[in-house]
Amino acid sequence: MPTLEIANLEVVYHSVVRVLSGISLVVPEGSIVALLGPNGAGKTTTLRAITGLLPLHDGEVVRGSIQLDDNSLVNLEADAIVRSGLAQVLEGRRVLVDLSVEENLLAGAWSLNRSQASDRVDHFCARFPILGERRHHLAGYLSGGEQQMVAIARALMPQPEIVLLDEPSLGLAPRIVDEVVKLIREIRESGVSVLLVEQNASMALDLADAGYVLENGRIVASGTAEELRGDADIREFYLGLGSTGSRGYRDVKHYRRKRRWLS
Amino acid sequence: MSGLLQLLVSGLALGAIYALVALGFVVIYRASQVFNFAQGEFVAFGALMMVSLHAEGLPWLAAVALSCVLTGLLGALVERVLLRPLVGRPVFVTIILTIFVGALLRAGMTIAWGHELRGMPTPWDTMAEVQVLDAQLLVNSLGAMATGALVLGLYFVLIRRTRMGVAMRATASDQEVALALGIPVGRVFGATWFLAGALAALAGIFLGMYPRNVDIHLGFVALRAFPAVIVGGLDSAMGTVIAGILLGVLELLCQGYINPHLGEFGKNFHAVFPYFVMILFLMVRPYGLFGSREVERV
Ligand SMILES: Nc1ncnc2c1ncn2[C@@H]1O[C@H](COP(=O)(O)OP(=O)(O)O)[C@@H](O)[C@H]1O
Ligand SMILES: [Mg+2]
Repeated sequence: MPTLEIANLEVVYHSVVRVLSGISLVVPEGSIVALLGPNGAGKTTTLRAITGLLPLHDGEVVRGSIQLDDNSLVNLEADAIVRSGLAQVLEGRRVLVDLSVEENLLAGAWSLNRSQASDRVDHFCARFPILGERRHHLAGYLSGGEQQMVAIARALMPQPEIVLLDEPSLGLAPRIVDEVVKLIREIRESGVSVLLVEQNASMALDLADAGYVLENGRIVASGTAEELRGDADIREFYLGLGSTGSRGYRDVKHYRRKRRWLS
Repeated sequence: MSGLLQLLVSGLALGAIYALVALGFVVIYRASQVFNFAQGEFVAFGALMMVSLHAEGLPWLAAVALSCVLTGLLGALVERVLLRPLVGRPVFVTIILTIFVGALLRAGMTIAWGHELRGMPTPWDTMAEVQVLDAQLLVNSLGAMATGALVLGLYFVLIRRTRMGVAMRATASDQEVALALGIPVGRVFGATWFLAGALAALAGIFLGMYPRNVDIHLGFVALRAFPAVIVGGLDSAMGTVIAGILLGVLELLCQGYINPHLGEFGKNFHAVFPYFVMILFLMVRPYGLFGSREVERV
């Protein structure tokens, strides 16, 4: 199992908009790493940089490195990156609505031969009986939770070594989020590392071994999940566990403290 | 009665040819939102290739197969060299480029084949007919119908049952998802252009038998297949095929039953008739018979 390591990564869109200003993070083999941060911080951009999706958005890595063990992923084509063992579940599920559940899974099986692909489809239909039942239905008619299962299963089809999940809990009911959490644990137990992007920090820090907080394109805090859960600012801003419970002086003070991180 | 049957068969044959050309447009458009205005040149190229290969002594069937493959490769080459670098550019850039490709191909074909008319080889006697009930049916028409049905059937098997087919549909549905799943989207684009080229060649070969002759202007039929694309819905393969066949039939029925009543003025009314249907559709149902509502018209 390989280690994914990003160092001093800078990304710009349209040659002018700088969105990541030198971030570094490591996903050690077999671990779950959380990448937290508010909307617009650059989390999705980080994942796009790793999986070669920036060109589609007219974005570009201008500095820094992305290494999978000794191999650089910068400037590789997306399909080559998938072949090297990475998989990404895009933000917002993005099932192929006009394809059946089975065809959605098969779309993730480009690198497999016919019998491997159908074995994997059977595997996921058994793991998610509801998908098995709906195997030949259009994926567009599934519920949000079911669509998320399709999106994750589809990415797991070629048995990747590292999975990047972009806000898998977004817009899902709490009961379904629990399902997703269970699934992420399963993924890790099967030896696959996970880079988990979330705004739901409490969920992510429960799952993760380590975490990073991204704001305005910079890493402003990092540590083990334990340390981050204990950090006063994280508790306040991301876990909603502020000791005063109301917006007031302390918020401002924390905000100042955070500004210091940023500068 | 025999007149009607004859018209229907000719109409279905013409419709099958429209369907092949129109399907080529749609296959490319669905995958990459590129509207290929050079499709007509592929039709002419395939037909001229067929004439030349057959003249070189290749058996008919082998010449058909090779013409399709070569035209397909020409399509894939155009995609790889000229269009791939433009992925992600605005639609009008690719439209202008494909118009330019069309002009380039016409110039190239003029140099290679000149302007003279050539006869399209057929494995049967050119004007052979079979008697069905009391109607005389052209073998050429029956051949075009059968080939159209076979190829369209194969196409639907390809996109439903094969890995490349699923990849094509995934790419059409959401390109970023396809990329994120490791589908080599560039190769998928290449495959759609190959397919469009091969379909165009086949259309050109049967069109050339009709019993018209072949020259570089054969490609203008692509303009006549255009209404099928609009009526069927730009992003619906099935809709386009149905529309192509329907318009072919309507065109010949119009020629048989409406033209004669229009006197001198109506001699060629059937040729513009599909455009009337198209305009009607643009007014009442702009996304076509089966297209999705959000498709923008180009
Ligand atoms: N294609 C793009 N072109 C220009 N700016 C973009 C593009 N995509 C994202 N951005 C900008 O980059 C910043 C980070 O976006 P994103 O990576 O999506 O953040 P997050 O996933 O953390 O919400 C935002 O300010 C966003 O507006
Ligand atoms: Mg995001």
